Amino acid sequence: MRNVAPTKTNMLTLKNELKFAKLGHELLDQKKNILVMELLNLIDQAVDHEEEVEKALSEAYRALEHAVLDVGKLKLFQIASAINIGSNVKISQRKIMGVGLPVVDTSFEDYPPYYSLMGTSFWLDSSLKEFKIVVKAMGKLAELKISIMRLAGEVKKAIRKVNALEKIAIPNLQETVKHIENKLEENERDIIILLKMTKLRLEKKKLDNQQP
Amino acid sequence: MKYFIIGDEDAVLGFGLVGIQGLKAENPAEAQVAFNTALEDKGVGIIIIEHKIADMIRSQVDKYIFTKQFPLIVEVPGRAGKDPGRLGLRAMVNEAIGIKL
Repeated sequence: MRNVAPTKTNMLTLKNELKFAKLGHELLDQKKNILVMELLNLIDQAVDHEEEVEKALSEAYRALEHAVLDVGKLKLFQIASAINIGSNVKISQRKIMGVGLPVVDTSFEDYPPYYSLMGTSFWLDSSLKEFKIVVKAMGKLAELKISIMRLAGEVKKAIRKVNALEKIAIPNLQETVKHIENKLEENERDIIILLKMTKLRLEKKKLDNQQP
Repeated sequence: MKYFIIGDEDAVLGFGLVGIQGLKAENPAEAQVAFNTALEDKGVGIIIIEHKIADMIRSQVDKYIFTKQFPLIVEVPGRAGKDPGRLGLRAMVNEAIGIKL
C-alpha cells in the first residue's frame, strides 16, 4: 500500500492511475499474446527449416568429400579461389509489435564457366550445386533464428511487465484506493455524529431557555 | 551484403566453392580472430559459424545474437553432422527466456 494522505484529491488521482494501469495491463497482455503466437509460428518454421539445412549440408559435405578424393584438396582450393560467384544478401526489416525482425533474401551472381572441364570431376559440379542450396537455405534459417531470439527476448520483457502490473502495481493501487475510501467514509460518519450531537445540544439549550 | 563462414578447413573450402569468404578456426584464439575479422568487415551481413567454434567464444556470439541488429549470426552443425547432445531450437528458446511454450 502506498503512503499517501487520505484525501479526496489523492483518491481521484489514484483512481485515474488505477484505470491507466488496468488499460496498460490489458494492452500488454494482448501484445504478449500476439508475440507468443508469432514466436510459436516461427519456431515451427525454423525447426522444419533446420532439418532441411542439416540434410542439405550433409549432402553437400558428401559431395565435397568425393570431389576432394577425385581432384585433390590443393587443386580444389585453387579452383575455389578462382570461382566467380557473388553471393548477395539483401537484409530488410519487418516489424511485429515494435520488434524489428530481419528478412533475408539471397541471390547469386553467376559467371560460368568457373573452371576448366578438364581435370575436374562431376562431384565438383555437384558439390557446387549442393552448397548453393545450403547457402540459400542458410539465409532463411538465419532470418528465422534471429527473429526467434529477438522475439523471445521481447516476450520475456512483456511477460515481466504484465506480471509486475498484475501482481504488484494494480493490487497495490486497489488497496490504497480502498484504504482512502474507508478513511473518508469514517470521517463522514464522524462528522454526521458530530452534527447530530451539536443539534441535540442546541435543542436542549432552546428547551432550557423556554422554561425558566 | 555477403556471407562469411567460420568453420574448419572443409567448411571454408565448401563454402568457398560458392564464393563465400571465410576463415578456418580450430582453437579459441583463432576463433576470436576470425570472429573479429568478420565483424570488422562492414559488408558482412550474415556470419555462418560452426557449433563447436561458436561454443569456444560463446559469450561474444550470444551478445551479438541477442542485442545487435547486424550482422546476423547463424550456427550450423559441422561436417560430422548434428551433435546429439545439443539442445533443439525449442529447448534453446525455453532456456533462453525461461518460459515454457
